[in-house]
Amino acid sequence: MSADPLDILLGYVRREHPRSVRGIEEARAVAPERFDRLARRMLSWLAAARGEGGIEAAVDAFARYTAEVNLAQARYEADGRYQHRSFAEVYADHYSRRDRMDNYLWAVYLSNLLWAHHVEISLFFEDRFLPRLSPGARLVEIAPGHGGWGVWALACVPESRMEGYDISPSSIAIARSLAQAAGCDGRASYTEQDALDLARADGRSADAVICCFLAEHLEQPERLFGVIGHLLRPGGLAMVTAALTAAQVDHIYEFRCESELVLLCENAGLRVLQALSAAPRRTLPGARFLPRSMALLALK
Amino acid sequence: MSDTLSKLNEVFRAVFDDDQLAATRQTTARDVENWDSLMHVNLVINVEKAFGIRFTSAEVAGLKNVGELVDLIEAKLPA
Repeated sequence: MSADPLDILLGYVRREHPRSVRGIEEARAVAPERFDRLARRMLSWLAAARGEGGIEAAVDAFARYTAEVNLAQARYEADGRYQHRSFAEVYADHYSRRDRMDNYLWAVYLSNLLWAHHVEISLFFEDRFLPRLSPGARLVEIAPGHGGWGVWALACVPESRMEGYDISPSSIAIARSLAQAAGCDGRASYTEQDALDLARADGRSADAVICCFLAEHLEQPERLFGVIGHLLRPGGLAMVTAALTAAQVDHIYEFRCESELVLLCENAGLRVLQALSAAPRRTLPGARFLPRSMALLALK
Repeated sequence: MSDTLSKLNEVFRAVFDDDQLAATRQTTARDVENWDSLMHVNLVINVEKAFGIRFTSAEVAGLKNVGELVDLIEAKLPA
């Protein structure tokens, strides 16, 4: 009988990353039973995709990533601005580096489970978005990164199919491996392509577009929302998430208010049906910025 | 106790609001209440201010115990 992947994760965190224990306990406290169910599914896919030692390696990456994020937030508090302003800077230092991206993507994958406010976003995805998808839905995921959001949708919606587009070769490889681990690879295709170029593709055919945590990585996020509006059929759904006043080395667009994201949706012909803004349980002492993650469900 | 560790303990006591805190080179996050990932960065920022140095994110993420922090501080101080 194979070991429970959640037990593997929690045991490893306690042994090797004691600084991460409290935050994970906060994440589980959001909804303990649902956390455990979500964790076992995500971790079983992770273990199948990465093989033996995969959970432990991803936890190592997650602990490093969390430290980097917290330090970036502290620098942001001091400087009043994100470290980078240009996509080209971040691409050279980050997206184009396979060695860095592999660990980064698995760390981000785990953050959807192990950060309390991202558990809230995950539950929004499960409660508000997934029930609206019909069997056989045609999905597009823009910048899937680790691929976890789109694979989750494929796993829950019978006969659905998905196309994913990302500029990172690491993303394409990891998203494919995750889809395979979830048994959904026959219904998913991933293409290395700048999602913003999809504005020139045939549009108006997707039943739903998923785009999680991309907008803050762009110089002109309004172009992204234009692409989402272009790809959706009338009546189609967009599931979008983004970070506000939350610094990371690869965040360049500083969203300050939730209303900015609502307006971007509206200007792209999307009507926001539901939204959630979630913040970490604790911030740095004396912080003037409250980092948030926002999820929006919008209808074309 | 080295001068660096002594000065570092002043930072520890202020950050964790514990006048009795006495970290040794072997002290880890398991030994200090509230030393989680967020307070770790708060500690690092205050160490930077106290010693006039700056850490990289990789250095911050990789620290396993107080001894490693002492060594890192001393490596960054002028000879």
